[in-house]
Amino acid sequence: MRAFSYSRPRSPEAAVAAFTDAGEGARYIAGGTTLFDLMKLNVEQPAHLVDVSQLDGSDLIETSGDKLRFGAGARMADIADDETINREYPLLAESLWRAASQQLRNMASVGGNLLQRTRCPYFRNGAGGVYPCNKREPGAGCAAIEGLDRGQAILGTSGACTAVSPGDWPVALTALDADIVVLGPQGNRTIPIAEFYLLPQDTPDREFSLAPGELIIEIRVPKTAAGRASTYHKVRDRESYAFALASAAVALRIEGGQVQKAHIALGGIATKPWRSEAAEAVLRGKAPTRENALAAGRAAIADARAGRHNGFKIDLATNTIADAITIAAERSAS
Amino acid sequence: MTLSPNPDRPRVDARQKVLGEALFAADQRVENLLHAMTVPASIAKGRIRAIDASAALKVPGVVRVMTFEDFADIQITPASRGAYGQPGKGYQPMTGPDIVHRGEPVALVLAETLEAAIEGAESVSVEYHEAAEFTALMEQGGAEEAPEVFTRLGHGDAEGAFASAAHKVDVTYRHPQQHHNPIELISTTALFSEGKLRIFEGTQWSSALAGGLAGMIGRDPQSVRASSPYVGGGFGQKNGIQEQSALVARAATIMARPVKLVMPRGQLFHTASYRPRSLHHVRLAADAGGKLAAGLYRTEQQNSRYDGYNPLFGETPPRMYGYPNWAGEDRVIRVDTQTPGHQRAPHEHPSSYATECALDELAHDLGMDPVELRLANDTDKDPITGKPYSSRHLAACLQRGARMIDWGRRRREPGRLRAENGDMIGLGVACGSYKAAMSPAITTLRLQANGACRISLSGHEMGQGLRSVIAAELIDVLGVDPAKLDIRVGDTGFAPQMLTAGSWGTASVAPAARAAALKLRANLVELTGRDDFEGPAYLQLARTRRPMLKVEIDTIPLGENPQAIDDLRKGRPVAAGPEYTDFLAFSWIAHFAEVHVEPSTGRARVRRFASVIDCGRVMNRRTTESQVKGGVVWAVGAALREIGETDPRYGRVLNNDLAEYLVPVNADIDWIDVDVIDEPDTRLNISGVKGAGEVAMVGATAAIANAVFNATGKRIRHLPIRIEDLL
Repeated sequence: MRAFSYSRPRSPEAAVAAFTDAGEGARYIAGGTTLFDLMKLNVEQPAHLVDVSQLDGSDLIETSGDKLRFGAGARMADIADDETINREYPLLAESLWRAASQQLRNMASVGGNLLQRTRCPYFRNGAGGVYPCNKREPGAGCAAIEGLDRGQAILGTSGACTAVSPGDWPVALTALDADIVVLGPQGNRTIPIAEFYLLPQDTPDREFSLAPGELIIEIRVPKTAAGRASTYHKVRDRESYAFALASAAVALRIEGGQVQKAHIALGGIATKPWRSEAAEAVLRGKAPTRENALAAGRAAIADARAGRHNGFKIDLATNTIADAITIAAERSAS
Repeated sequence: MTLSPNPDRPRVDARQKVLGEALFAADQRVENLLHAMTVPASIAKGRIRAIDASAALKVPGVVRVMTFEDFADIQITPASRGAYGQPGKGYQPMTGPDIVHRGEPVALVLAETLEAAIEGAESVSVEYHEAAEFTALMEQGGAEEAPEVFTRLGHGDAEGAFASAAHKVDVTYRHPQQHHNPIELISTTALFSEGKLRIFEGTQWSSALAGGLAGMIGRDPQSVRASSPYVGGGFGQKNGIQEQSALVARAATIMARPVKLVMPRGQLFHTASYRPRSLHHVRLAADAGGKLAAGLYRTEQQNSRYDGYNPLFGETPPRMYGYPNWAGEDRVIRVDTQTPGHQRAPHEHPSSYATECALDELAHDLGMDPVELRLANDTDKDPITGKPYSSRHLAACLQRGARMIDWGRRRREPGRLRAENGDMIGLGVACGSYKAAMSPAITTLRLQANGACRISLSGHEMGQGLRSVIAAELIDVLGVDPAKLDIRVGDTGFAPQMLTAGSWGTASVAPAARAAALKLRANLVELTGRDDFEGPAYLQLARTRRPMLKVEIDTIPLGENPQAIDDLRKGRPVAAGPEYTDFLAFSWIAHFAEVHVEPSTGRARVRRFASVIDCGRVMNRRTTESQVKGGVVWAVGAALREIGETDPRYGRVLNNDLAEYLVPVNADIDWIDVDVIDEPDTRLNISGVKGAGEVAMVGATAAIANAVFNATGKRIRHLPIRIEDLL
């Protein structure tokens, strides 16, 4: 970990200005739960930190309008505990409280969480020149592809990178078509979450469609009746405090026993939060039976490409999606 | 005095621990301290060409960067690494330019602050000669089988009996590499105090640390004092001198300033000991009635190239049941790694995993209940030597545990029990044993007429409750008030310190404290001229108008000669057991697991666990239960979670942090029900104690694996059992 300079502005505009002034090597920091970790591992070496954890009004949690609005600085724990969110959008609440630990959720912001970086061990552990990583050092090569790849992605991979997108909350937001509002040196813009995350392709070092200096200030989620019949189902190597091996965010609108609208997104198996329109199409107009749920699961991973040790994720993801559909459908009935 | 069951009592140091007042080695406040940080080797084998410290020295606060050239005068002695100096002399990093294992320290940065030391260490640039080829895993080419078979144990004609038996299993189980990951990281602080070099280090053997370091850095052993006030998880990883111990001690003498190093967890995966990979080939045979006919057990254990961490897998399995024929042998496979070492139930956990799972396979093949199979082969004598056991209540453990877990609902055919949510339910049983060993001890006990009592003796408090055990005997014999009790252990300034390991801590300190207390009581009886007395001893002392009474006593384990005390003073290993003149002594345990497996995902969860332990007299019910629960939690980790994953191309443990090296979290643990037999084993020692800390874990992983089979019908013969195995 290297010495760095630090500033703590009070407004988003001042934060963007501070970032721009600091020039190369500036990073925003909110809860610090990813960035400090990577700084200690020497993967990140920022010269200047702009602390955005205390921006006025950034902890907004607004559920009364036509969209859910979350300030980028709202804490994961606060949204996870929000009564309306738990009642109307259990997939959002579950995606938060099934992530990390209570201590981390108390610190981590929902805006910063969107930018959490991969847990690929070759990425995290390679500072000091041991493991080549295209994400850390473009062009260096990828140690994971021929390595211990049990945790690697089976969807959205490239010859340069198979690192899994680690988040839970971004998967739930992807299922619900959230918008990400950012402020940059050129002003505000809104990025649909489907365009927010980039596939690794030949440039796995580029993970987000943010321009330099752009700061996430708000997350907006269109309201939907499907929110009530929803779940974020997460399967992992232990029952808490672990990243997903496979997860599914599912929200259903069921009328007359048939799925009118399905929202399905996957985590733990893809290089970005993975919306599956193919799985949604399989369910549309059908009853959420086990058979149909499994068919949707199979459709979601039809393009999967397994490596040496992660082939089990194909069956695991299929069944996880099916289980999530079953849970969501039961919530529709109740 | 006769032995009576100990009543329920809190730990004597519970309050200090909860309040954070119990200071561990790295917590000591030291003036004028230099903080040290190591630079780990980024290659697995080779030679340093050059070290460039110029950037590090520019980091504000960095005082000095030390390399092998600074430490060339450190002597490599049998004490250099752990207790594993056979057949070699161990290995001390940074005494030369050669790298023999991944991650070993290649530079030591000293700075005025920890932050500067870390930044300095990251700024050191090390250039290596062309990297040498290396072998990271025992399955790879280049792994070298040690020419000698380490242990060979047997009796009868096992091959012949196996060949002609009606029922047999022939199976191979694999155990992965595991890392201790204690919460208290490994650290060394060296400072000068009262004319001595004082070392604070969380160690299980402060005498060997002091004596060994003195030899390594060329000092008079009397001029080094080692203090290990509390150990925050020893479990064998803190048995010996660590890779950084001599470096820090020498750095302090070079700089003439106190130096402290806390080894970061990520580095510990490559600098500290660990449980090595091992392979277990088990053949068991029985007649149609379930009478065991033969056991054949062959193991291979990964080891470093330079040390002798001995493979003792074969020592306990033949003692579990009445095998009429047995043949076992243990071998070592050498690769380029740091030396593995003891980790809780070091060999007994892997060997019980393999053999108790194989026994479950045999029971299934026989169509026999696995509890019945074990009861049918109970024995009161050791099949290998023919000597009796000092005590064995394993059958009672099995019978009681079966009631606790409601064993009667188990079905022989897997997958027949279902939970309401559709989960498959499996029940599994396995047993374990661990040698009942003892160490000599040197004790000084002082009682004051105002009730204050001070005892200094050999032993280390590692969270197992050693102080509470000592207190229990003083309360029992002398009626001492625990609030007025000063217990001094873990410090060569108090008494010569035994290696506190191998589950012999309680069986060594309880008899020592009891013997000292009985001697003091006898002295009091003599002084007061009464036959005996009731109530607190200090009141009797007050009657004599003496302010203080002091006794000293050496306790020597059964069958050992007084030379053992001399060995103890010199920091030599001196534990006795399990074989004594007239008998063998073991602690015994029966474990029962209820595992639920989710059919759609293969998630296995241990929902209930029952363990019944025969550890002789229970000195403190709370710490004993805590030991067993801790052993079970660790066994859950071993069964379903833990594995050190090494990429053979790089020779490094990839998951070298607590986020990725998975140990159980609270959500993984449901109900653990513990019961104790609490029958004193007075043939072994005057306290009737055997030992609990290690046996607690032995067999528990096998019980879980056997329950997984009973739930799913799948025999998974490797650990951990993960989702992909059951999906």
